[in-house]
Amino acid sequence: MSALDRALLVAARELAAERRHPDGFVAALTFTGLLVLMESLALGPGQARQPGVASALYWIAILFAATLVAGRSFDRELEDDAIDAILVLDGGREALYAGKLVAISVVLAIVALAAAVLSLLLLDLEVALAGHVVLVGILGVLALPPVIVLATLLALRVRARVALVPILSFPILIPQLVACTQGAAAALTGDAAAALGWAGILAAFALVYGVLGLTIVPAAIE
Amino acid sequence: MIETTAAPFPTIRVRPWLGVLAIGSSAIATFMALVWAPTDAVQGDVYRILYVHVPLAWLAYLAFVVVFIASLGWLWTKRPWFDALAVASAEIGVLFTGMFIVAGSIWAKPTWGVWWTWDPRLVTTAVMFMMYVGYLLLRSLSTDFSQRATRAAVLGVIAVIDIPIVHLSVLWMNSLHQLPTVMRAGGSPALDAAMGVTLLVSVIAFTLVYFAFLAERMAVELERQRRILEARA
Repeated sequence: MSALDRALLVAARELAAERRHPDGFVAALTFTGLLVLMESLALGPGQARQPGVASALYWIAILFAATLVAGRSFDRELEDDAIDAILVLDGGREALYAGKLVAISVVLAIVALAAAVLSLLLLDLEVALAGHVVLVGILGVLALPPVIVLATLLALRVRARVALVPILSFPILIPQLVACTQGAAAALTGDAAAALGWAGILAAFALVYGVLGLTIVPAAIE
Repeated sequence: MIETTAAPFPTIRVRPWLGVLAIGSSAIATFMALVWAPTDAVQGDVYRILYVHVPLAWLAYLAFVVVFIASLGWLWTKRPWFDALAVASAEIGVLFTGMFIVAGSIWAKPTWGVWWTWDPRLVTTAVMFMMYVGYLLLRSLSTDFSQRATRAAVLGVIAVIDIPIVHLSVLWMNSLHQLPTVMRAGGSPALDAAMGVTLLVSVIAFTLVYFAFLAERMAVELERQRRILEARA
């Protein structure tokens, strides 16, 4: 079985578990919706409707959702010690990282789509470049999980993991968050060149941290 | 397999001398910074905080690069000495980065009119500070020695990415902060000769303080490791 097959197997298993008991997905979706709603109310609809503000609120919500999805995903592994079975396999560590990355990205994409629809409806946003918004959205969803999965693995079986994962991952994710926010705001206002520039940065971050994670994760798990 | 700590830290013999050198050079640097160096034509005496601010910035970089090298050393060899070096340097780095931010803030008030502004250099430095606070938090919350060292080492390798971002942020983005004065590409330092010499002495003094702190903190950590490994045995 190739490394790719192993990773896809872990991802398929993860998605099957999520489909059977979608508690991580439901929690992330509810939390994201609530966060978008609360942030918009706190700022007031006038301010929250501004493209830059709306984008920032949306991506901060997605960032938190990503930590929730990743946390729930690894909780499931730890509950029945399934993670140990994967780790003892040849290439299991890389497969665990890559598989989780794929599965969490898929779940996060669905959450992001639902949250985007909610934001568009609640804030009555005008979208100048729909294709660019989708592109930034897809690349944003791909750029966040590599760091969050890595941080979750580092904090695995550590006390106060729920607090530690954001503390470890958010400072590293600041450039990605800025790129997501600026890219989405540029797409909403019709600045195609800026949106594509930020999308390129997101693609680079997704690639760099994905490769870094695959390289370093085997050393991180004992 | 974790080996017991090898020969107790070679710098133990030079530890007292490091302390003496650090104190002596700090006294000389203080005299030069406050008395010998000329007053700046534009900023007046306020600029003298440069002799603290720049060495602190240098030490923050140095400390975190040492964390990176020690982290690689641990991942490669699994020798506890490297873990002791990493934690000692990270703690000192966090201390100096915090002081670097505070000194910068004190300098910013009379020159920029604000204690803090959303400038790329300031923000990236604050982010670097938080990354290494997270590093120390990860260490403090992990209980198993080997796991703690390995996970911290991985984070120590990743977090070093922020150092060039902090240093080059003033070149990449519109910044209120001045451009690099000493470590700049393609040119000699943009600084008066007497100021340059004073700055050099200050940097040397602070570096000796760093190594003195490092030696003391490592001695404490190696003793702690020895007790842990003895208890395990």
